[in-house]
Amino acid sequence: MKRMNQTTMRRLISIGMLVILVVLFTILAGAGKGKFFNFDNLIEVVRDASIPAIIGVGVTFIIITAGIDLSTGSMMALVGMTMANIYAYTLLPFSVMMLAGILVGLLCGLCNGVIVAKFNVPEFIGTLATMSIFRALTYIIAIRDANGVIKSQPMNHSGYTWLGGGIGKFYYVIMAMIVIVAAGQIVLKFTRYGTNLYSVGASKKAATLSGIDVAKTRLIAYVITGFTVAVGAIFTTARLQSATTAIGMDFEFNPIAAAVVGGVALSGGSGDVIGTLIGALFMATLENGVRKLSINTAYQYVIKGAIIIAVVIFDATYKARMDRKAREEGAKEGLE
Amino acid sequence: MAGNTLIEAKGIYKSFSGVPVLQDVHFEVKAGEVHALMGENGAGKSTLIKIITGVYTKDAGQIYWEGQPVEINNYQDCQKLGVACIYQELSVIPPLTVAQNVFLGREPRKGVFIDYAKMNQMTQELIDKYQFPLKPTTVVDNLGIGQRQLIEILKGLSQDSKLLIMDEPTASLSGKEAEMLFKIIQKLRSEGVSIIYISHRLEEVYMLSDRLTILRDGKNAAILEKQDIIPAKVIETMIGKVVDESAGSRKMLHSDDSAEVRLDVKNLTDKTDRYRNISFQVHRGEILGLGGLIGAGRTEVVRAIYGVDKAASGEVWLDGKKLDPSPKASILEGIGFVPEDRRNQGFIPLLSTIKNVALTNYDIVKISGTSISDADELAMAKRAIQAIDIRPADPNKQVGVMSGGNQQKVVLGKWLMRDLKLLIVDEPTAGIDVGAKDEIYQILENLAKQGVAVIVVTSDLQELLRVSHRIIVMRKGDIVKEFKNVEVTQSKVLSAGQGVEEEAE
Amino acid sequence: MMKNFNWSKYSKPIILVAFIVVLSILRPKAFLSLDNFSNVLWSVAVIGIMVSGTIFVFLIGGIDLSIATLCAFSAVIAVTVTHNMGDTPGAVFAGVFAALIAGALAGAIHGIVITTFKIPAFLVTFATQSIFLGLAMVMTNNKIISCTVPAFTAIGAFKILGFPLPVYFMVVIALVSWYVLRKTVYGRYVYAVGGNPTASEISGINVKLVSIVCYVLSGLTTAMGGIVLASMTQQASSSTGAGYTNDVITAAVIGGVSLLGGEGTVPGAIFGAVLMGLLNNGLNLMSVPSTHAGLVKGLVIVVAVAFDAMQHADQSRKKVKKVKKANA
Repeated sequence: MKRMNQTTMRRLISIGMLVILVVLFTILAGAGKGKFFNFDNLIEVVRDASIPAIIGVGVTFIIITAGIDLSTGSMMALVGMTMANIYAYTLLPFSVMMLAGILVGLLCGLCNGVIVAKFNVPEFIGTLATMSIFRALTYIIAIRDANGVIKSQPMNHSGYTWLGGGIGKFYYVIMAMIVIVAAGQIVLKFTRYGTNLYSVGASKKAATLSGIDVAKTRLIAYVITGFTVAVGAIFTTARLQSATTAIGMDFEFNPIAAAVVGGVALSGGSGDVIGTLIGALFMATLENGVRKLSINTAYQYVIKGAIIIAVVIFDATYKARMDRKAREEGAKEGLE
Repeated sequence: MAGNTLIEAKGIYKSFSGVPVLQDVHFEVKAGEVHALMGENGAGKSTLIKIITGVYTKDAGQIYWEGQPVEINNYQDCQKLGVACIYQELSVIPPLTVAQNVFLGREPRKGVFIDYAKMNQMTQELIDKYQFPLKPTTVVDNLGIGQRQLIEILKGLSQDSKLLIMDEPTASLSGKEAEMLFKIIQKLRSEGVSIIYISHRLEEVYMLSDRLTILRDGKNAAILEKQDIIPAKVIETMIGKVVDESAGSRKMLHSDDSAEVRLDVKNLTDKTDRYRNISFQVHRGEILGLGGLIGAGRTEVVRAIYGVDKAASGEVWLDGKKLDPSPKASILEGIGFVPEDRRNQGFIPLLSTIKNVALTNYDIVKISGTSISDADELAMAKRAIQAIDIRPADPNKQVGVMSGGNQQKVVLGKWLMRDLKLLIVDEPTAGIDVGAKDEIYQILENLAKQGVAVIVVTSDLQELLRVSHRIIVMRKGDIVKEFKNVEVTQSKVLSAGQGVEEEAE
Repeated sequence: MMKNFNWSKYSKPIILVAFIVVLSILRPKAFLSLDNFSNVLWSVAVIGIMVSGTIFVFLIGGIDLSIATLCAFSAVIAVTVTHNMGDTPGAVFAGVFAALIAGALAGAIHGIVITTFKIPAFLVTFATQSIFLGLAMVMTNNKIISCTVPAFTAIGAFKILGFPLPVYFMVVIALVSWYVLRKTVYGRYVYAVGGNPTASEISGINVKLVSIVCYVLSGLTTAMGGIVLASMTQQASSSTGAGYTNDVITAAVIGGVSLLGGEGTVPGAIFGAVLMGLLNNGLNLMSVPSTHAGLVKGLVIVVAVAFDAMQHADQSRKKVKKVKKANA
């Protein structure tokens, strides 16, 4: 008998959750102009999901190795503020601004990677610490007015205005998301590095025995996350048309939530970027729907937290059971 | 059928800090043969294998590969020669497919991308060649342990390995899975692959191997051809005829049935069938030895009696009272338990002797209100240190930094502080030096003299004979033999554990 | 080895004195003033109160990332209940009580979810952090709610013998916590569970119950911290206690509490709290804004934990060598 693959099943569950949520909001908040279910609003949802999904690509890589990154929000702020400084104080071209932003992202990622993979600091402690370090650095380099008070720096360079837009409703950020998610999925499934990520997450010992450099694999995942965070930060400043010290405050929650909902197990070794994309769409739909229903947006925090706990409990209990079942059946099948 | 010599290790010597572990060992495997390697615990099997796979460096001797002298300094060296080791702890990666596992780190590529078509095809070819019941694209998550082991073998074969080393490959396999493995081994042999097969199970060795090398005390005891592999003879060789007549390996057992029954185990049966219908009694002042091979279910039985794991059915009675086993209840009823894996289960490494000894005894340490009397706690630790000579005698010393023997004394010591009715010890002297061993035997004997019933689980035959008043032997989850008021030898115990009927003496 | 021993024994007072000396030299007037003294005390008290409870969680190898938002949530509850019951002294009592119950419940939920489903503590508290934040925002309608009821503000402002009340709270709570960990059977079990849960289970300890109680105690003191903060600032909002997750963890780490479990003492943690208070104050006096302080605190955590991890790796490596020798 052909039994459904566990991974496929988990994928169907997350797609199912997304569909149910869309249907639910369509019923509650209605379809048509100005309501929940219409083209413009759904595009808006995808646009909202784009940045968590882009950053989620890197975060997914990290989680697959059984790691975590709590510093992505602060990293975004630091990248944004770096670009703001260049914009405010120099006449350097837009491309240099972007490159500098990406460079800062890569450096931050490298920092995390070294702390976690080389110094063996537990991931959540190490990145919790860099979360406050990156945020503090953002404040230190923040743009100030004549009285020395931190101000929001307008980012109205034509390059940002352009990036914030799109071809009609097809925003550039959505295109970037599609490209990066596709690239992430390809790296994950079709390169040695991708296979190494899964191996490291499933068993560091077994990976080492197979000749995989575990520390390097983990370190690179953090650097890649630095890159995706930088891209996310560029699009965020482009959309806001300004840079503030508050960018990315509490943001680190979003890519992790997206990954968890999308079936990337925090214990490592499973899940993929497409799953995280579905998770990001789910979270964005949730936020949008709650807004459309004019519910106090504060409830979002409650609902997000509750969903994460529920999904994690679900995965913890059912995965153990399905694994056992699968093994028993597998053992039988093999003997026929 | 077997051809030229594939690998030969000549005159291998190895000692650890002055203690010789291998002395002038000779070991040779021919192309296309299954060569079994047997010996009691500590005979030097794993040291020999570790020298062949480059984990240890030898002190003297030479290894030849296809007649040429070679140096093997690490696992990569041995892989290059064509030696693959199938680890007991499997190193397959569950979320990957069979093919991804087989070619992990060596994936065929087109540009930067993995060439899945080619990889799956290469895997399929291997599978077809050796007729493994596997598919290249199955995700390992969905496979049983037996099949995972086959992947490991396939991984070795994909690197054109000529020699596979299998260390207790059937230890975690079900009967059916083991049969599948045996067929595969036969198939591999017919394809010209050599196999070093390390096992405690004589029946497997008897069935599979072309030749058998037996090590005893770090020396070659025998190299037997297929027709000479006769179970009784093998056991005799493993233990040694000379040794068998010496003091430690022959004993007249005496037990006193008239003493009242302390522990009465009735029909204890496991949830996952690791043991079934286990019934036995232990009397006041009696030391019961529980013998058998590793994996026979002994540890599981004693864990169920103490209550760390729950049995599916059956009863445990202590001094005529039925127990509902759980560690806490057992402790209060007067049962002590020294677990098998000392470091992970026995003690708290960061804490001092004082706190480790007191850990199970806060019902008897003086407590005024809610406040533990430090003085009384310290006094208890000092009593333990004095009673069984724990060194260093500093009660504030962290147990984690002590020697294995003293750690075990701390673990034992906490039970001596209580009024015990039953003490269960599982592999009490594993990894402990000779002096400390004797002291621990002394402690057990003294306890028995005080009327405590003692159960000793041990794989060390000499130890089993040395301490036991009565011996029961388990095999594959059943009690297969009881030695009571008879003369017993190491061979008899081993034969019973192996399921071999010994010829009448 | 002897050198190491001495250093670890005396390092704490040395660091503390050095800190005070440096601050006194750099900013003599500001630092040595009486006003500043009570500023430092307040800051120390809040961190000290919280770390006296969270240390239980650290000792069993757990973590709580929800400290800051649980702080906000309980502060908001205290103020809201006080308001709703008519701002009488009795209402203040009810408010404080409700906040403590909420903290204990939150801790119980953490403990139960973590031990029942065997989910990493950082993940569970990471998720509840969002829940508490949301609840605080919902209850305050995302505004700052002020509370100037004398009975409530007295909690933070009232002085006895020149010391503000929170300092007494801290001393009492730290003493209780010290007593529990140092003198009671439960305290012994906490260290055992943190050092080796399997061996603890075999020694008849109810590991699950011990762990849950640790989380409850942590929730309880976090709520107390929230109440004191709200009282001191005469207001509560969803950002009450922002930054305290890091401050409390940093205080513990500075105080020699291992985040890997099994090691650490209350006096150590209180020392950490004092140092954090001085650090916050010192940075403030040097005109380093509080927003920049995260840099220093973050670095402290990274360096301390990396050092810890390296030492552990070193120890186990030595141990393995030793065992290998012994086995041979």
